[in-house]
Amino acid sequence: MALSTIPFSGLGADASNQGVNFRNLIINGDMSIAQRGTSSSSITSGGYYTVDRMEHAINYGTWTLSQSTDVPTGQGFAKSAKWDCTATGTPTAGQELKFRQKIEGQFLQYLKKGTSNAESMTLSFWVKSTKTGTYIVEMRDDDNNRNICQSYTISASNTWEKKTLTFDGDTTGAYNNDNGQSLQCTWWLGAGTNFTSGTLATSWESTTNANRAVGQVNLADSTSNEWYITGVQLEVGTSASDFEFLPYDVNLRRCQRYYYIINPNNTYYPTVYDFYAYNDSNCYAGFVFPTPMRTAPSVSMTNNATFLYYSAQTKTIDTSMLYSWQSDGVINYIRFYDGNAFSGQANKSGIFEGGVFKCNAEL
Amino acid sequence: MINKQNITNVLKVIDPRDSHVSYIATTSNNERVIVPEKTDNTDYQEILEWVAEGNTITDNGGGE
Repeated sequence: MALSTIPFSGLGADASNQGVNFRNLIINGDMSIAQRGTSSSSITSGGYYTVDRMEHAINYGTWTLSQSTDVPTGQGFAKSAKWDCTATGTPTAGQELKFRQKIEGQFLQYLKKGTSNAESMTLSFWVKSTKTGTYIVEMRDDDNNRNICQSYTISASNTWEKKTLTFDGDTTGAYNNDNGQSLQCTWWLGAGTNFTSGTLATSWESTTNANRAVGQVNLADSTSNEWYITGVQLEVGTSASDFEFLPYDVNLRRCQRYYYIINPNNTYYPTVYDFYAYNDSNCYAGFVFPTPMRTAPSVSMTNNATFLYYSAQTKTIDTSMLYSWQSDGVINYIRFYDGNAFSGQANKSGIFEGGVFKCNAEL
Repeated sequence: MINKQNITNVLKVIDPRDSHVSYIATTSNNERVIVPEKTDNTDYQEILEWVAEGNTITDNGGGE
């Protein structure tokens, strides 16, 4: 097709056409990307475990967290995120269970928060749980310590339901225009009395903990409890449009801004453009990330690698040799150190085989 | 991603090539995480909070 024949609306320039125009502020809302793995069991503390960009805040109960293929029928989704309670818990006053995504402030500027033209946001999602009752969704402005909440009801056990919640614009407190954490979109799944003893903050207010999760059921009160979610979309305005499906590769790249595994299956040569011994003790590997990471990431190494010198010698690069890391988020140098491991090899370059490197720049 | 509860020790290291500073954080499950000295890196923020709670980064002048 000649470029001139592509309908203008097909390029997504018109926000009303339901095409791909990146109107969804949530990344990986269809839960399709899971670089860290598809299941993690015996979880008792918070972190990122399965589906990308979704953080679990956990300090009671025991959980199996997974990427599930249980999805609402006929909606186009293939994956969901699942919480499965494997040991019950009753929250103490300050304890909480939350599923959330943190969003950079520079992605939120068009919401015009903190101005008289502040935009409303609408959140839509599919949810299913064996635990019926009232649940809370919270939008929290981390730059200005403000929040707004809405409740939704799961009325039928173990049945997919679509929920749509609209949050008013906030004329107080602008989001910082940077790569820091400005907005948390949070699904509460359990809360102690510190978060439930007040009146739910259904309008923006300076955060009062007691007003954040009023009425929230406790998902950890039975080992029969499960909670699933998919099709999450947060967009400007007062109505929900159809879910914006992105091609797999586009969705993956968006996730890799925050987390990236070099050579995830330990089966091929990592994307090294430069590898050389510097002196008797140190060698360096240069990597390029496929997309700019949010900030210089942390890195850990989980499998040994091998340095193959062009002089036909080899040297095993043990994970304990990973020593420092220099990155601007795009171009990266990893330094490996080991006494005299590279004695006599200074300035020799080569190729780098194997090794798995996990790079983290999450919010 | 590390959190301050799981950090067992932190070593400051200096790259011999250009004096760039990094930290090696060892966690309770023996994971070694190399953390850049960047205030917007959440792992570095966890190290700073770990220090604020009274812990000390091992600094032997950047040597290994």
